[in-house]
This record gives sequence, C-alpha cells and structure tokens, in this order.
Amino acid sequence: MNLKAFSDVFSAVIPMLFRGLEITMQVAVTGIVLGFFLGAVSGYALQCKNKIAKGIANIYIWIIRGTPLVVQALYVYFAIPALITNIGGERFTLDSTLAGIIVITLNAGAFISAIVKGALEGVDIGQREAGCALGLTKGQILRQIVIPPAFKSMIPGLFNQFIISVKDTALLSIISVNEITRQTQNYVARTYNTIPAYTMCALFYLVLLSMLMILQKIVENRIKR
Amino acid sequence: MSNTLIQVNHLRKSFGDLEVLKDISVDVKEGEVLCIIGPSGSGKSTLLRCINQLEYPTGGEVIYKGKNLCEKKADVRKFREEVGMVFQKFNLFPLKTVLKNVAMAPVLTKHKNKKDAEKLAAELLAKVGLESKADVKPDMLSGGQQQRVAIARALAMEPTALLFDEPTSALDPELVGEVLGVMRDLAAEGMTMIIVTHEMAFARDVSDRVIFMADGYIVEEGKPEEVFGNPKEERTKAFLSRFLES
Ligand SMILES: Nc1ncnc2c1ncn2[C@@H]1O[C@H](COP(=O)(O)OP(=O)(O)OP(=O)(O)O)[C@@H](O)[C@H]1O
Ligand SMILES: [Mg+2]
Repeated sequence: MNLKAFSDVFSAVIPMLFRGLEITMQVAVTGIVLGFFLGAVSGYALQCKNKIAKGIANIYIWIIRGTPLVVQALYVYFAIPALITNIGGERFTLDSTLAGIIVITLNAGAFISAIVKGALEGVDIGQREAGCALGLTKGQILRQIVIPPAFKSMIPGLFNQFIISVKDTALLSIISVNEITRQTQNYVARTYNTIPAYTMCALFYLVLLSMLMILQKIVENRIKR
Repeated sequence: MSNTLIQVNHLRKSFGDLEVLKDISVDVKEGEVLCIIGPSGSGKSTLLRCINQLEYPTGGEVIYKGKNLCEKKADVRKFREEVGMVFQKFNLFPLKTVLKNVAMAPVLTKHKNKKDAEKLAAELLAKVGLESKADVKPDMLSGGQQQRVAIARALAMEPTALLFDEPTSALDPELVGEVLGVMRDLAAEGMTMIIVTHEMAFARDVSDRVIFMADGYIVEEGKPEEVFGNPKEERTKAFLSRFLES
C-alpha cells in the first residue's frame, strides 16, 4: 500500500473510531453507573437476613453468570421485544443502544453485587457494634459507619468492572450498537480495507484501555494513602 | 452511693447448646465501680454485652430506671445513649478524625448542634490528654491513645454509667498505665462503671466491689480487700494464685 492510500484510510477510519468511542463510552458509563445502583441493592440483599431478598439476588446473579453476554444481548434486543409484541399485540421495538445499556447494566450489576457484598462484610463488626453501643439507629450505622469504609474498599473493584464493561461493549456489535467494533465492521464491509481497519481498531482499543488502566493505578494509589 | 442504677436478675444466655451465663444476678449503684474478674471463657464479656443488649439474653432481666430492657418494647437505644461501652479493640471509626469520632454520636442521637458537640469533644480529648491529636485519623495513634479516644467517645454521650470490656488487654504493657489512669480519674469523679479486667492491682485499688465469675456463675462477690485479700471460695483462690504467680 502506498502512502497516499494509507493516509486516505487513516483519515477515514479515525473519525469513525471516535464516533464509535462516543457510543462505547455512553453505553459503558451509563451501564456502570446504573449497574452500581443495581449491584448495591443486590449486594446488600446478598448479605442481609431477608431470605427472599437474598434469593432474588442470587437468582439474578446466577442467570447473568450462567449465560454468555452475547446471548443476553440477543435476548434483550430481539426476544424480549418480540415477547412484549406477542403479549401486547402492538409491535414493540427497542433502540439498540438502549438495549446495549440494559445488558451492560445487568452484567455489571451482577459482578458489582459480589464486590458490594464483600465490602459490606469486610467492615469490622466491632465498628458496627461501637455504633450500636452509642445508640445509633440501624440506618445511621449503615450510612455513617459501614458505607464510607465499604465504598472506599470497593473502588478498585468498581474500576476493574468498568474496564471489563468497556471491553464488553464490543460484543454489542452483534445487536448493531454503533460502538467502535461495529463501526469498524461496517467500514470493512463497505471498503474491504480489512487489514488497516482492524489493526487501527485494535490499537485504538489498546490505547483506550491502557489509559483507563493508568487511571486505575493512579486512583488506587490515591486511596491507599 | 445509694440508688441502684442497673440491676441484673437471673440472667441467662446460651449460644446454641452452650450455656454461657447460667444465673447471674448483680446490681450496680450510682457512683459505684464494679470490677468483674474471672478466667477466659467464663462469660464476662457476654454479661456486659447482655446488659446493653448487644447479645439478647435467653432469660432473666436487666432493669434500668425501673424498666426491663429484655422486654420486646423496651427502648434499648435510649439505654445505650445513657450507658456507654468501651471495647477491648477500641473499635474507632477509621475514616473519621479523632475529633469526629468523639463528636459524631451526640449529633446523630441527641441532635446536638455540631459546634457544641465538637467543643465538648475537644474538652474531652483534653481530659484524656489528646487535645493535640484532634485532627488525625485513629490509625496514626498508639493503642493506648486509641483507647483513650474511645473513652472520650463514650463520655461525649454524657453517660450515666460506662461498661468496660478488658479495655487494656489489647495494649502493650507500657501503654496500659495511661488508660488505667484515665479510668481512675473517672472513678474519682464518681462515674458509675462496670469493668471487666485482668488488671488485678487496678481492680483492687479502684473498685468498690468485685465479682469473680467462673463457668457462667458468680462464684464470689465482695469488697476488693475481701475478694483479693481473703477469698472464701477455692476457685477464687486458685484463680488469684495463678495470677500472682504469672
Ligand atoms: N457469639 C458467640 N457465639 C458462640 N459462642 C460464643 C459467642 N460469644 C461467646 N461465645 C462463647 O461463650 C463463652 C464465654 O465467652 P465470653 O467472651 O463471654 O468469655 P470471657 O469471660 O469474656 O472470656 P475472655 O476473658 O477470654 O474475654 C466462650 O466459650 C465463648 O466461646
Ligand atoms: Mg471477654
């Protein structure tokens, strides 16, 4: 390939990758934030005494861990709207990006529950008892004594899950979420510039994820102090 | 030294099949210092924890201000606001500064305004000799200092009585004195205290009454000079002589 051809591909692919990046980050960030709330509730349920809440949380985690993300994506994007259409009678569809956010949320939530459960259990029982012995209510003990150190200990795990979720978004290409991978596939289908396009796509991910990993290290060092 | 403040009647506590407290009756009068001694596993901690309901007794009563705390409708939180506890392992809140550790509970439970609570906290830190440590986190302190903060934290609730569960057992020997010193001051001020301890010299000095517990029973009870100087029960003698040897 001569230099001219290369620079043509380059100038076509780069803006496209950045358009994909926007969707990738939109899905991953929304997914991790919503997944955090879902995981907080389900992680709390896992370590509480209520058997029903615990059971529901366990079933949720079991389903997510026991099925591939790609299948979850197909199910949320195709099967569930079809089910709703059958039941409701009116044709129901789901925006693919929204479906992607739902899948990432459900997935991140399941893994975050384990992080939340461990963090809550990791708070020394002695500190809860100290709060109790001072006459604090259960809610005050949770908010003032348990959550602050638990949240601090969750941060590395949450960041890790965020990086995993960013990578997981690539699988959403299967339901045509226009993220980085899907953009590249479309471009290759149009132009057959297979080698440069996928190479740039891989390098783009590598740079993106490396930056996130560096950020992760910085954050971890910050909270250690 | 007149009115009974806390009265324990026929208290029993089992963990599963293990009966840890078998029939404990004891009371503490206002201004009295009661020391509890006894071998490991005799149920001393469990007794203290049953008094403030950190453990739910299997049977019996804990009477405070005419009310039985073991009843379902009892206001246990109110009792805990009025009767503080100091733990063997300090149990300070690690992310909060020393001052916040002390000032937090009065703001939350008694709706004291923050300024007043922090002012009181500062005074109490001065009282336990730690005014210079107000703004550091607990893990910057020695064990002895942490325990003194824990005492200040309990005092910030302006308690009618304090429960101590081996407050010096987790400390290096050279740090025991500073904590016992603070407790001596409290005793001199007339604070009502129930103290579980292995510091026999301290117990003999400070207490108005001593209880020797073994196997979930109170084996012997009396004035410190009686229990330490002239124990009646064989088990007490054996326990004390082992302590004097070591
Ligand atoms: N939560 C619990 N569950 C089961 N058993 C317990 C529990 N707490 C205490 N025990 C048991 O009850 C017995 C009495 O324990 P306790 O802590 O009251 O003794 P202690 O007199 O304070 O001893 P030490 O001097 O070692 O602190 C022990 O055999 C202990 O193993
Ligand atoms: Mg004990």
